[in-house]
Amino acid sequence: MKVSFPYMGSAIVYKKLFEFLEHEVIMPPKPTQRTMDLGVKYSPEFACIPLKMVMGTYLEAIEKGAKVLVTSGGHGPCRAGFYGDTHRNILKSLGYDDVELIIFDAPQDNWKAFWRNVQKIRNGVPWPKVINRMYTLYRFVQKLDELEKMVQKIRPYEINKGQTTQVWNEIQEKFDKIKTRKELYKVYEECKNMLLSIPTKEVDERDKIKVGIVGEIYVVMESSINFGIEEILGNLGVEVERSLYLFEWINDNLVPWALRPKRFKEIIKKGQRYIKILIGGHAVETVGHIIDFKERGFDGIVHLMPFACLPELVTQSLIPKISKEVDIPILSLPIDEQTGKANMLTRIEAFVDLLRNRKKGKTNEVLINNLQQHADEERVVMV
Amino acid sequence: MKSIYIGVDVGSVSTNVVAIDKDVNVLFKTYIRTNGQPIDSVKEGIRQLKESLGDVEVLGVGTTGSGRQLAGAILGADVIKNEITAHATATIHFVPNVRTIFEIGGQDSKIIIIKDQMVVDFAMNTVCAAGTGSFLDHQAERLKIPIEQFGDLALSAKNSVRIAGRCTVFAESDMIAKQQFGFSKAEIIRGLCDALVRNYLNNVGRGKNLEPPFVFQGGVAANKGIKAAFERELKSEIIVPEHFNVMGAIGSAILAKDYVEKNKVKTNFRGFDAADIEFTTSSFECKGCSNRCEVVKVSMEGKVIAMWGDRCGKWTNSL
Repeated sequence: MKVSFPYMGSAIVYKKLFEFLEHEVIMPPKPTQRTMDLGVKYSPEFACIPLKMVMGTYLEAIEKGAKVLVTSGGHGPCRAGFYGDTHRNILKSLGYDDVELIIFDAPQDNWKAFWRNVQKIRNGVPWPKVINRMYTLYRFVQKLDELEKMVQKIRPYEINKGQTTQVWNEIQEKFDKIKTRKELYKVYEECKNMLLSIPTKEVDERDKIKVGIVGEIYVVMESSINFGIEEILGNLGVEVERSLYLFEWINDNLVPWALRPKRFKEIIKKGQRYIKILIGGHAVETVGHIIDFKERGFDGIVHLMPFACLPELVTQSLIPKISKEVDIPILSLPIDEQTGKANMLTRIEAFVDLLRNRKKGKTNEVLINNLQQHADEERVVMV
Repeated sequence: MKSIYIGVDVGSVSTNVVAIDKDVNVLFKTYIRTNGQPIDSVKEGIRQLKESLGDVEVLGVGTTGSGRQLAGAILGADVIKNEITAHATATIHFVPNVRTIFEIGGQDSKIIIIKDQMVVDFAMNTVCAAGTGSFLDHQAERLKIPIEQFGDLALSAKNSVRIAGRCTVFAESDMIAKQQFGFSKAEIIRGLCDALVRNYLNNVGRGKNLEPPFVFQGGVAANKGIKAAFERELKSEIIVPEHFNVMGAIGSAILAKDYVEKNKVKTNFRGFDAADIEFTTSSFECKGCSNRCEVVKVSMEGKVIAMWGDRCGKWTNSL
């Protein structure tokens, strides 16, 4: 089967998954302006940006020859649960009757449907092989996420601008070629050393600024739609960590409830201090992570939300209260079609100024020190 | 010969240029329509400054606003800063005990919360630009009232008409409906001012603790109708500083001054000749990797002086 999937975050992971199941994989292109144009053209106007971008990605994948599209469904009351069917209807109305859309909803919602999908995707590969390879993939995701977390901690202090990103691109290419578990561990060590050998400047632990990124999964994970916020912050000298990494998502969502890690439950519990019931999307997790980041000593939070995303809007309306009670600055950024960066950069830059000032005290003198420290970088970064 | 620091704020609607001395006295200020030509308006501002002040020694240059990068490249700025920080810096200088800044410009409106002379929180209008200078401009034009008289007319109204807030499209159709009912222009304008302030405080100031003293600045602060609407809504005095429409430029000049003084460096200022030099901006899509960044290139008489927009720094660092 010529299989493709939505592009989100480190898409090589999904590619690996289908390669391991011996499918012919059509790699969807990383979302670009064209993806957005296509998606916007063929999606309902009121839908949020993830639906539109994924729509565009599907159309581009079909252009490249994909016959089967595999995606995850929704869970709870967020309208993302309709998105699979909406996509299916749009594809049908465009005349792609021969394209199949396989939607994986949370297994605990409907075990039978889940099983049927698994059988389809399994592609006749014998079970022992499947289990073995899925375990390899599980570790693959884990190692890749570990490296990405390193990238986010090294980038703010790199001496040669852009080097970390370049190395990260190389790492992804290397990972793309991995076939076996043994290779995985070897490549992982290599890549780790590549990252560790990036020259960085010494920064006092007390001067380090850490920002947690929370929000709806697609806009948090996919850099092409969130203006590359991790890089922007990194280039401003800020360490970042996302609330979502694929490895954790797999643990939280695909591993049966009883086996769910303790951490996930803790985050949900923290979130339920403010949102008592499940309202869909990542609202409860978003709040939980805000509190968790604060407890772990982060200086600020960037909250990404697709424009008109209801669960995140609920979160946003709670933010002044949370920010005050938990005592952490939070910047909410709505994300939609617009590509103008200036406005967004203004907010981010001002936010980073605010965090630094908060950390050090007085405004102007601190600001000038920062300016000195970041003068060159800013000229490079700020558009 | 006077020693000055120059601050430039390139916004979507106006380009403001100021010169201050070392004690932050404003020696010169100008407010020019950007008209979508930021390069020309920056040059024009610099030309006017030169004409007005004669021979001066420039010790530092700061730029801010959405065109800060471009203006910085043209002038050779020492400091390129976002407008929130720049505005706060200037306001704190003129009104040291300020707690809340309302800033309404052409495209953006902001609220900046200050505590102990430190920015502790800020907000900007999200996604749509309802309730900004451009919208007022448009309505003034539609009602055939010069924008300068807008505020006075609003003050002359005895009653206010309720105009729907939300977005400008709603507001405009509601205004047209109210006009058809026969309300006077003055009443409608006062209603519009009220709606704008209500909308701004609801949306931009959502959930923020607004404490006096309040300072109102940005181009729209010239509008007495809006100021009065703020005062009615907040039941408190609203301070409009003397240089309300160029505060961003003053802030960036202060930042440049502090930077130059503290680090004892010489300015990068290209000199007043910059006003006569030919600058061109172009862009291209870099095909180096899958990011496909749009790289902006600024050339000075054919020589590339600045590039930005590439995520990896390949072009930016190539200079």
